[in-house]
Amino acid sequence: FGIQGKTSPLCVLVDSREISSGPEVASCLRIKYSIKTEIQSLCGCDYIVSNRMAVTRKLVSDFASSMNKNKFTEHIHQLQNMFERICIIVEKDRVKAGETSRIFQRTKYYDSMLSALISAGIKILFSTSQEETAGLLAELVNLEKRKNAAIVVPTEVKGPKQQALQFYLSIPNVSYITALNLCHQFSTVGQMINSSVDKISSCAQVSSHKAEEIYRYIHYAFDSQMLPARCIP
Amino acid sequence: MVELENTSVQVVSAVPLGHVLVDEKWRGSELVQKLQGKIRVLFEDGLGLVDFHLSNRCCVIYISEADLVVGSSYKRKLVRFRNASNLRGIVVVEKTRMSEQYFPSVQKFVLLELGMALIPVADQGEASQLIIQLVHEESKERDHNPFLRRNRLHLAEPSVLNTIQQIPGVGKIKALSLLQEFPSIHHLGNATTEELSAVVGHTVAQQIRAFFS
Repeated sequence: FGIQGKTSPLCVLVDSREISSGPEVASCLRIKYSIKTEIQSLCGCDYIVSNRMAVTRKLVSDFASSMNKNKFTEHIHQLQNMFERICIIVEKDRVKAGETSRIFQRTKYYDSMLSALISAGIKILFSTSQEETAGLLAELVNLEKRKNAAIVVPTEVKGPKQQALQFYLSIPNVSYITALNLCHQFSTVGQMINSSVDKISSCAQVSSHKAEEIYRYIHYAFDSQMLPARCIP
Repeated sequence: MVELENTSVQVVSAVPLGHVLVDEKWRGSELVQKLQGKIRVLFEDGLGLVDFHLSNRCCVIYISEADLVVGSSYKRKLVRFRNASNLRGIVVVEKTRMSEQYFPSVQKFVLLELGMALIPVADQGEASQLIIQLVHEESKERDHNPFLRRNRLHLAEPSVLNTIQQIPGVGKIKALSLLQEFPSIHHLGNATTEELSAVVGHTVAQQIRAFFS
């Protein structure tokens, strides 16, 4: 498909919540690395750097606290359902003025978390500041571009396309970028739902496994008997 | 039992569960002393580039503070490892006050260029704690890793109902009656305005057609 120009600017999708927790990351990406940042509500992903990779930014204090274990694993599961590749950037906590930097006590929990993540093939990067995190994101964007996975569709959605986007987003385990690709690569929703697995795979830029999942969903025969009681009006 | 595939990485045929195979050069080090008593340590002469074998698939290459400060010979070492074996290599690097300035470039090289995993430690003591956890991870069943667990199957019905409600003009009640008549999204998307009118009335039927075409 022809929209991929050599000159198209690099692009990152940023979750709107990240703007409050890490404002310098997005501005640094824009100013220092000239990467286009599109701020959207991404339902759980912090950054989407390519058609297949999500990046989660975690502060060390948050990552190292076993209190957050369930929430964190749940979050990673969700990402695993949507993305082929996941990357976690563990960022050092900011030291507020007048506060002495706390010494990080390495725990068994911290090491076991790292071991489990690595063994599941999840990449972990370490950063000391928001600027450095932006640098790492920029590296990842470039790396994914070299592997032909860069985001090439327009990130703005206007007019009736917005309804189509919401429709695609409601498909289980479809990420924001996949929905965006579907939105721009198919001229109508009717065309998308009549497509083959291969066509979905190439247009949405997803694995054939993922395309099959979407295809099955479109063709799934609804049975109202199977509907949980809470869903019946 | 042990054969030499390549001069740079020895292929180890079996590391027993819960054991770590350590290169002879580490004997007597602080790291190994701290491992002993926690997990079983086996020594082997001439493991080449690899410092610790955690299992048949996974090994650790250790980069010390001194390696970092001295220069980039560790890079050659890692590239040789990457070319010589398909073992999953984890690079453990000493990140101290003295070596932290080199850390970003090591990280970029190991993760982004070689695609290997990298974990910083402050000293050999931390490294030993980490290796113990890595060995535990290797010896556990896959199901114990929360990030490798297969997700449960969910019924698609509530999602389908929700997807249909994204069509303009269709709420929960209309979505349900439409699905009684056209049981899949595919069916519904290919229904004619006449067929749709019979269920939801003419205006909404037109809205639905307009959405799909």
